[in-house]
Amino acid sequence: MNKLEIDWTRCDGHGLCATLLPDDVVLDEWGFPVLRGREITVGELPHARRAVLACPALALRLNAPAKRD
Amino acid sequence: MTMLHAARVDLRVIGEPRLLAGLDQGRVDRQRHLWTHGAQPDLTREAYTHLAEAVGLRGRGGAAFPVALKLADLPAKGIEAVVVNGSESEPVSRKDRLLLTLAPHLILDGATGLARALGAPHVLVAVHDPAAATSVREAIMERDDGLAIEVSDTPGRFVAGEARAVLSALEGGPAVPPGRRILPTRKGYHQSPTFLSNVETFAQLAVLARLGSRGFSSTGLISEPGTQLLTIDGAVQRPGVIETPTGVPLEAVLKFAGAEPGPVLLGGYHGRWLPRTNALTLQRPDVSAGIILALGSDTCPLGEVHRVAQWLASQSAGQCGPCVFGLASLVDDFDRLVKGDPAGWHDAHRHLGLVPGRGACAHPDGSARFLASALEVFGEDVRLHLAGGGCGRHVKGVLPVPGGAA
Repeated sequence: MNKLEIDWTRCDGHGLCATLLPDDVVLDEWGFPVLRGREITVGELPHARRAVLACPALALRLNAPAKRD
Repeated sequence: MTMLHAARVDLRVIGEPRLLAGLDQGRVDRQRHLWTHGAQPDLTREAYTHLAEAVGLRGRGGAAFPVALKLADLPAKGIEAVVVNGSESEPVSRKDRLLLTLAPHLILDGATGLARALGAPHVLVAVHDPAAATSVREAIMERDDGLAIEVSDTPGRFVAGEARAVLSALEGGPAVPPGRRILPTRKGYHQSPTFLSNVETFAQLAVLARLGSRGFSSTGLISEPGTQLLTIDGAVQRPGVIETPTGVPLEAVLKFAGAEPGPVLLGGYHGRWLPRTNALTLQRPDVSAGIILALGSDTCPLGEVHRVAQWLASQSAGQCGPCVFGLASLVDDFDRLVKGDPAGWHDAHRHLGLVPGRGACAHPDGSARFLASALEVFGEDVRLHLAGGGCGRHVKGVLPVPGGAA
């Protein structure tokens, strides 16, 4: 279960993720990422990890969040 | 039916009073509490889990998460704290501060009983209302639980009431939700397992421990028996807090409070406008934290919604881009819509799709839910406004907005 997630408290809308992962991330009209929400396949993992490391705000992450409040 | 008057909030009961029992003469001290409810029985963790499951008890803070599941999610050992979330940041809600102010021992019974059952050494009560905080501090002096009970004042901002924002504030940090979605049951107070729930949930637990599942189920729905606290406000003759059996028809509550005919908002400013009020019963999750707002029929609905949208935007913690920019854009969209600009209507629909699920907490989601339901339910008003003449009514400010936004 590998999915992209965003720590919205960190994201400043630099937009690198949308350039590096155009199939999974597009930017909204304010420049913040909109995730496609699909699962990242094993073959795509290395590239997705590189994108995560490239995020200047350390806001892009890989993995399944626990759901609940 | 009883009618009580205290702390400038009217209390009323439909059916049998449980949480509001004995409050007819104001704050209930230790002695009067024991006389009304009897002593809190000592139950095990298994007993609490079993009871909560048997009566389908759900959290009363809005999310309506099943208490039994929350208990089951805690590890077997090392539970650090039980946290009573009394920050009640929804501006219309009064039920929690009312319980804290008038029935503090019932809440403390629920919290300390559960803390002992879980082996948790700390009980923390997060409150932002000064009168409520004083009442709880006095109550702690009146009793001896052998536990460390602490009362903390938290800020009143809307998102400061979110569970993880409360935990952050209790640890001396900022009262904002953290970016990572971590469950308090795993990493709560000081990164240790914590049971956190709403004030009313603990009062219900205290009642449940005494009555047992059978006695607790003598009123209310089969699926979720017992009573619930509702706050009703807006265009009503008798605003205040009402205790009712779960599943009471909304119409009955509206009539009871003397509500004017007109649209009704259920669940507060993160809730929804109801397309109609008949044939609807009040239960979780729809009733959320129990807030009912009657709009009446002589104010401009879209103008009222615009005022609330301004307040919702002002309550963003300012951490998350889509919430900050999205809510600000929606305020502008609704402003243009009220003035009759069709582009405002189009932009509102687009922006409502860009806000939910894109923040550290549920503030953008709840705000979008409120605004989207307004566009649905007030379709006829939208049409009138876009036709250029408005709906012919002024904005009277029926929906309370703290600080009275412009």
